[in-house]
Amino acid sequence: MSDWVRVADAGDVPEGELRSYTVGNRTVAVANVGGDLQAFDDTCTHHGCSLSEGELDGTVVECPCHGGRFDVITGEVVAGPPAEPVDVFEVVEADGEIRIRARDTD
Amino acid sequence: MDVLVVGGGLAGASAISTLRAQGFDGRITLLAEEPVHPYERPPLSKEYLRGETTEPQWVRPPSWYEEQGVDLRLGARAAQVVPGDRVVLLEDGERVPYGRLLVATGVRNRRLEVPGADLPGLFDLRTLADADRLREAAGSATSAVIVGAGFIGCEVAASFRRLGLDVTVVEVFPTPLYRVLGPELGRVVEAMHRDHGVRFVLGEGVASFEGSGRAEAVVTEGGRRLEGDLIVVGVGTKPDAPVGVADERGAVPVGPDLAAESEGVYAAGDVADHDHPIFGRIRVEHYDNAIKMGETAARNLLGAGEVFDDPHWFWSDQYDSQLQVAGFATEWDRMVVRGSLEERSFAAFLLKDGVLRCTVTLDRKLDARRSLPLIRAQARPDPALLADPAVDLRTLRPPEGAG
Repeated sequence: MSDWVRVADAGDVPEGELRSYTVGNRTVAVANVGGDLQAFDDTCTHHGCSLSEGELDGTVVECPCHGGRFDVITGEVVAGPPAEPVDVFEVVEADGEIRIRARDTD
Repeated sequence: MDVLVVGGGLAGASAISTLRAQGFDGRITLLAEEPVHPYERPPLSKEYLRGETTEPQWVRPPSWYEEQGVDLRLGARAAQVVPGDRVVLLEDGERVPYGRLLVATGVRNRRLEVPGADLPGLFDLRTLADADRLREAAGSATSAVIVGAGFIGCEVAASFRRLGLDVTVVEVFPTPLYRVLGPELGRVVEAMHRDHGVRFVLGEGVASFEGSGRAEAVVTEGGRRLEGDLIVVGVGTKPDAPVGVADERGAVPVGPDLAAESEGVYAAGDVADHDHPIFGRIRVEHYDNAIKMGETAARNLLGAGEVFDDPHWFWSDQYDSQLQVAGFATEWDRMVVRGSLEERSFAAFLLKDGVLRCTVTLDRKLDARRSLPLIRAQARPDPALLADPAVDLRTLRPPEGAG
């Protein structure tokens, strides 16, 4: 089952910044790219570091540990050591809330 | 035009990836000395050594090379380049012609020239095969002596402690990582290892290795005899370029655009002695640099003419801590600390004549990456702002075009 989960108030993720939230048994990072929210798995597929503690550069998040770079919209690896993409999540800002659609763990 | 890449490491594989991404559809040949596809070396001193992963971490999946139409020749060591004939000679005498040549042959481990250095049972670590041997030996060992407290020595010490081995590290300099970090930061790293149970013998070189039939002990110049089931030597490297393009130290001197003196020859990665636009002539052995130099060399092989001015960045994972170094400095006249050396959570900014040259962080990851634009711009940040943890380094960047 996949349900929408409220994680924060609308506006809690300022433009160009990253936050992370617990959704089910996953930690999900939310990036604000030019006013649009993008959600993706916070755990780097390379070494398990928290991507929301890294840097957001346009649509690319850079892992703070070893410099792996992921596209926050597709989850694909852009550069660096990670071999696998990160999962992306559906996210909406509505009724004064940020909501993320939970995913079953594979 | 065809491209020959000599060296099956990260720089060579990155270059090939970029060549194809740039639309180059000519012939690519990769000569790799090791009998395996290009793999990543960072895990070899850490999770691979500890047995937490058993598969090599491939730079690209092994099937990728064929998909990309790369003629991959494993186990082929280039002995010599004859630039006048545009040909590479293999060790078995075979001649491989090239249109453009990328030399990415990396480095070899330096050996200690002391009595007993040829005893069986002495280990070092560079290749996957080295890591396999060391991992197997560590499985039945209870104690280890590590010679050299550089990055490899420190990381192997941390991995061995995690495996439960009794570890002694011998280092000729007064602290670990002395040449990279200097004494003050080196002592912080020393304290971290001591807290994890590592014993150090500092400021003493190795006089000899002893053992009956196999290495069993390290004897220091001070006369100490340190016994270990396992003895690992990590005392630096020497670049490993083929004759014909190598300078007297074994490196390939290249200009700012990574081009060597000979027509059509470029070098990337650990072997490249680079005329860096910010730091002057330097040669580094960093993961990130191998990727980025490989990418730039590939574009320049195709005529892009880019200057390589990446300010350099690397990391070292030890225990649950991470050291990061941004930039490059062999000397500095001021060190500004943000955070606390004692608590091992800090960024240390190394300045020379007011210019930020290098930032070393321990468990303050973002400050290293955020220093890179400042280092690239040769900025002169206000030391009071550098020292203030509340100041985001991104706000200290000089305006575009300035500096």
